[in-house]
Amino acid sequence: MSHPITTDDSREIVRVDAIVKDFRPGLGLRAKRVLHEVSFAVREGEIYGFVGPNGAGKTTTLKILMGLIRPTSGNATILDCDVTETGFREHIGFLPENPYFYSFLTAEEILRFYARLSGVGGRDRDRRVQALIELVGLGDARRERLSTYSKGMLQRVGIAQALIHDPKVVFLDEPMSGLDPIGRKDIRDIILRLKSEGKTVFMNTHILNDVEMICDRVAIIVKGRIRHEGPIREFMNEEAMRSDIVLAHLAPEVAEQLGAKFSARVQTVGEQVEVQVMDGQVRDLLKSALEAGAEVLSLSPNRISLERIFLEAVEQGEQADGSSAAERGAPAC
Amino acid sequence: MLNSGSRIWPIATNTVREAVRHRLLYTLLFFAVTMIGFSVLIASLSYVEGERIIQDVGLASIRLFSVGIAIFVGIGLIHGEVERRTIYTILAKPVTRSEFLLGKFLGLLLTVWLQLCLMAIAFVAVSVLVGAGLDLGYVAAMLLVGVELMVIVAVATLFSSFTTPMLAAFFTLGIYALGHLSRDLYSLGQASDVPAVKQAATLLYRALPDLESFNLSTQAVHGVAISGAEVGWASLYGVAYSIALLILASFIFHRRDLE
Repeated sequence: MSHPITTDDSREIVRVDAIVKDFRPGLGLRAKRVLHEVSFAVREGEIYGFVGPNGAGKTTTLKILMGLIRPTSGNATILDCDVTETGFREHIGFLPENPYFYSFLTAEEILRFYARLSGVGGRDRDRRVQALIELVGLGDARRERLSTYSKGMLQRVGIAQALIHDPKVVFLDEPMSGLDPIGRKDIRDIILRLKSEGKTVFMNTHILNDVEMICDRVAIIVKGRIRHEGPIREFMNEEAMRSDIVLAHLAPEVAEQLGAKFSARVQTVGEQVEVQVMDGQVRDLLKSALEAGAEVLSLSPNRISLERIFLEAVEQGEQADGSSAAERGAPAC
Repeated sequence: MLNSGSRIWPIATNTVREAVRHRLLYTLLFFAVTMIGFSVLIASLSYVEGERIIQDVGLASIRLFSVGIAIFVGIGLIHGEVERRTIYTILAKPVTRSEFLLGKFLGLLLTVWLQLCLMAIAFVAVSVLVGAGLDLGYVAAMLLVGVELMVIVAVATLFSSFTTPMLAAFFTLGIYALGHLSRDLYSLGQASDVPAVKQAATLLYRALPDLESFNLSTQAVHGVAISGAEVGWASLYGVAYSIALLILASFIFHRRDLE
């Protein structure tokens, strides 16, 4: 599948400028700041990963973008429209975290309902409903009530309703939540398909594996503050741009030769050969190994770097929090 | 650009489908029909004007249980959508909060009007069975029960748009009770010698719905002539009051964070 390339001068589809959000837990109680001047931009045609631990402010940011809550200060625009407006919403799709739907309806009925709200009418509506039910793999359950659906099936309904009106921009809050490995792969494929169709995808997640696999750019948010933002490759050092391959039925001397040829680290462990090679060399190395009669047992991209940056960001956030708490706790002189 | 109607109507029809699944609706409907039937028994204990007693009890039951349905189904109208987060995906579509609110209001109104029709059928059936006379006065009385229900649904929608079901029930019941007493409160206030009391009573009368203006039961049962103008003005008042409440509800709902 070929993906359109996003460049730095691509149009900004989503722009968030210094958003602050305070929540007041109750009358007379002190407001708690959950977003601290959050700023970022999502460019046309890219998959943007908004990453952070639970409680970091990801969903709050997304709720502001969807106009469900208002920022205390700052601005947010989607397709150059203020997020509090309504008209541009015919160009966006939204999947909330753990989506809930009217349980007395079937998948077909709920999708028709959302299609009508989105202005998709007549034959086009039926065509879109059927196509999306097939796309998300609910063909066998299309006429069953949603009350009988599993969490994973509801997540698929959520994806389908977000795409019912063929939006230009799609916002997904934890899209892989509640899905088994096959389901996660299906959703990843759908997201990559959206990108190949030129759509922009904004994705909230805390699953780094998904981010590495499909995102073009990433922002890491911790305790309401953006800690890092940039293209996914910027998060990767040389170590992270390597892949681990485990081979069997490969003679040690052939393995050594392959290591020398492709500048790969080779280690023989019993009957298996573990190879660590730069991403760009994976295809050629595998071709040579297979020609030498080897069997590929596994291939996995090295993901140490993003994970490390993420954990460092979380740690920094906690330290900053701890020091400010200590400052607050210090006696007044 | 989509027109509002094409967004409001799916929300309204969906609300009807949701509301008719409410067990409380069937419980109250059952009690209402039982009360209408039970009125025959009450009438049999009376030596005089049995038919009038049947129709009086029947109309009172219809009013009471209809309002009960409107309040107890209506109080969770918006709150339930926010609580279950079904509202998130709806407002992410090109639907304004006012359209959503209006769709929910219309859906509940259609539901309570539907159950009003069912109660009216039971009322007519019992009246025919006991040979009690029916005339246009009863049609007018039923029509204004429908208008009163519209006002009550609007009140429930208003409170449901910003508070919990329990508080919404408390406030709506309060407005219902005060709405039926607003004329008496006004009269009492006017009898006072203190100008501030008079002004307060006038203010209260203007702010509260005058629900007694929708009560034609006595005239219908006793065969007192009801003018078309009386029904027309009361209907117009009910529609205007409901619109004012919905505008207020929309204003509040627009400013609310849907957490």
